[in-house]
Amino acid sequence: MKQETVAKAAVQSSTARTVDRLPALRRFTRENAPEVLALLAGAALWEILGWSLGLQWLPPLSKVMEALAQFVRSGVILANVGSSLQGLIVGFGLSLILGLFLGSLMGRYRYVEKALDIYVHALFVCPSIVLAPIFFAIFGLSDAARIAIILSYSMFVIVINTATAIRTVDPSLVEMARSFGCREAQIFIRILLPASLPLVFAGIRLGVGRAVKGMINGEMLIAFVGLGALAQRYGAQFDAAKVFAIAMVVLIIGLVSNALVQMLDKRLTRWAG
Amino acid sequence: MGAGHFDRVGGEMIRVHGLNKEFGTSDNGGGVLALSDIDFEVHDNEFVTIIGPSGCGKTTLLRIIAGLIPYDQGEVAIDGLVVTGPGPERAVVFQNFALMPWADVLGNVTFGLEVRGTPPDECRDKAKDLIKLVGLEGFEKRLPKELSGGMQQRVGLARALAVNPRILLMDEPFGALDEQTRRLLQEQLLRLWEGQRKTVVFVTHSMDEAVMLGDRVMLMTPRPGRVKEMIDVPLQRPRSPQVEKSAAFVEIKEYLWENLRAMQVGES
Amino acid sequence: MKKRIVLDWGLRLAVFIAAVALWELFVSTSQNFLLPRFTDVANGLFRLLFSEARFWEALYISNQALILGFAISVVIGIPLGLLAGRFHWMDRLLNPYVGVLLTMPVAPMIPIVIIALGLGLAARVFIVVLFAFVFITVNTRAGVRGVEASLIEMAKSFGASEGQIWRRIVIPGAMPAIFAGMRIGLGRSITGMVMVELLLVASGLGRLLLEFSGRMQSDLVFATVLAVIIEALALLAGMQALEKRITRWAPDISIG
Repeated sequence: MKQETVAKAAVQSSTARTVDRLPALRRFTRENAPEVLALLAGAALWEILGWSLGLQWLPPLSKVMEALAQFVRSGVILANVGSSLQGLIVGFGLSLILGLFLGSLMGRYRYVEKALDIYVHALFVCPSIVLAPIFFAIFGLSDAARIAIILSYSMFVIVINTATAIRTVDPSLVEMARSFGCREAQIFIRILLPASLPLVFAGIRLGVGRAVKGMINGEMLIAFVGLGALAQRYGAQFDAAKVFAIAMVVLIIGLVSNALVQMLDKRLTRWAG
Repeated sequence: MGAGHFDRVGGEMIRVHGLNKEFGTSDNGGGVLALSDIDFEVHDNEFVTIIGPSGCGKTTLLRIIAGLIPYDQGEVAIDGLVVTGPGPERAVVFQNFALMPWADVLGNVTFGLEVRGTPPDECRDKAKDLIKLVGLEGFEKRLPKELSGGMQQRVGLARALAVNPRILLMDEPFGALDEQTRRLLQEQLLRLWEGQRKTVVFVTHSMDEAVMLGDRVMLMTPRPGRVKEMIDVPLQRPRSPQVEKSAAFVEIKEYLWENLRAMQVGES
Repeated sequence: MKKRIVLDWGLRLAVFIAAVALWELFVSTSQNFLLPRFTDVANGLFRLLFSEARFWEALYISNQALILGFAISVVIGIPLGLLAGRFHWMDRLLNPYVGVLLTMPVAPMIPIVIIALGLGLAARVFIVVLFAFVFITVNTRAGVRGVEASLIEMAKSFGASEGQIWRRIVIPGAMPAIFAGMRIGLGRSITGMVMVELLLVASGLGRLLLEFSGRMQSDLVFATVLAVIIEALALLAGMQALEKRITRWAPDISIG
């Protein structure tokens, strides 16, 4: 049967893929040549313009790299990244717990959804930074304020995605489970939870990105600790190279956390189309 | 209503009497009568196919028998006991397969057994036997997305058979498949059924399928759904593909088509 | 049907009342004497809207950056997105930069913009543009890419020219995504404006907030923030209504 050989071929190729990993790296650069070239070209342009134009706000790329290297060497990075990350982890962790919990309730029970939907939507849609002055007023110049800002940035996208995920589980799967005698709790654990995973992870991934933005935005406003404070300080000193360097560090944090979530996502939702 | 039936081994397995089912919101006042005064019996070890145009409620009827949706009036009894919900003596095979995409073939087949608390070793052994029976040996670890439609439905069939039901309820199980796959699965289903003659209620919109597979064909009319006639299919078992050319087959199929076509014309 | 709607809004009202009650409880038991009661905030809002000319002045100044910034983002973002969607090589060239701009927080760049452009309107508009234009580009590009190849093929089979294909197939087809991009871009522009106000504190709402908090008038601080939230929600709701009207036929596929 032709269809069975197609399925068998798919199985064989997936095992073959794990064998050739080093050539895969080469293949990556070859396939993405235009993008890589574009980045290199941009970097070269930055370098050239930096030297030739001599603008205060555009230092050459090499100077930025120098500043970055100096940060790493002097340990400045470690201290500030540390405190920034602390806030990020606590803030994002809280938004994960609260977001998943609230989202599950909203997805599962219509009354909860109807009661809260306009508020969740409004808070999701409105630029989270406007809430910063309120948190500042409540918590003052403190870690709690930073964490509250991160929470407000990332929680609502998690709530909305989780609620949608649970609400849009294929009803025929639920019916199938019921036909085999599953009770409500079993349906939740065996069907709703695994089925909603892909979309929930989409929300978590978006949430991480927003949490990082909340982290840096919050720190720049409530600037007493962390990378945001550094950026403000160097900005006041008109040291553009250092500010660019910090921006790069923040970018790296964002990319790494996104990659981590994506790795976890791939592992847990390999089965999704 | 109710042509003569053969005397079979075993008595009534499924008895539906005076069944009414209404769909509609209570706010509106009026609803849509999906099924009206349904009355029929299915005997033990009998293979009954149900056919009718869209809107005749055949899928609704099947789900009522499965215990998945409630009914408003009448009586639905399995082996004398009134139906109040799903039960271990019935298993359903779904049109869109309803496989859990995150579980492999083995995981999907063991689902029904696991839910009933069967110890894991027993689950696995039973599942493996059935996977072999439906011809999917070697595919235990594949995910549904790696399987063709026909293979996925065979997993659905294995899952249903794994819980050893007395009744198989099949809701247009081959409807989502192409014709060639459909024919192969029909043959396989017949072969399996010859091996252990469960009571089967099989909903279809294909006349070929209805006559090929069933001992009796239940013809339904739409809006509201009613049983028009129970037609005997006195073709020899085991049924081979050759039987499609026999005069009896053609005659019954023509009869079905005359009735079905009349229902379509009557609508407009 | 009607009963259900009444019930839903009843639930929402109940949640609102519960939230206000919780807030009052929090304020009365808190050591922080700067926290305003709900009624204080409501009064403050009333004052701002109807008896403080300075509020409207500040709103006007702040919104200058918002509107100009958003307009420029649209003018830059949509053509870029159209080009990226249409020309594959351009898409691949822009791709890494778009990716960076999407994930990188704009806020750390603000000090650099200040060094370059100072604290005036130009800097504020530039920052808003930085916040917003990438999202417009990305959604526009997705919209162009999303137009079904079979439709373009169909148009070609009837002899349509490149210009006609653009005007009658690609642009109408990409409209939903373009409008979604503009909606998201508007949200990002508002974020940019608020960041500008809070960080630069040059003029406008940021300065007003600073003044109020300096004078310990926390009710007015909260009221100002509330006013900004209301403006943001109103603008976005308006944008969404416009979007729905223009794109009645399409499903939702936005990025951001």
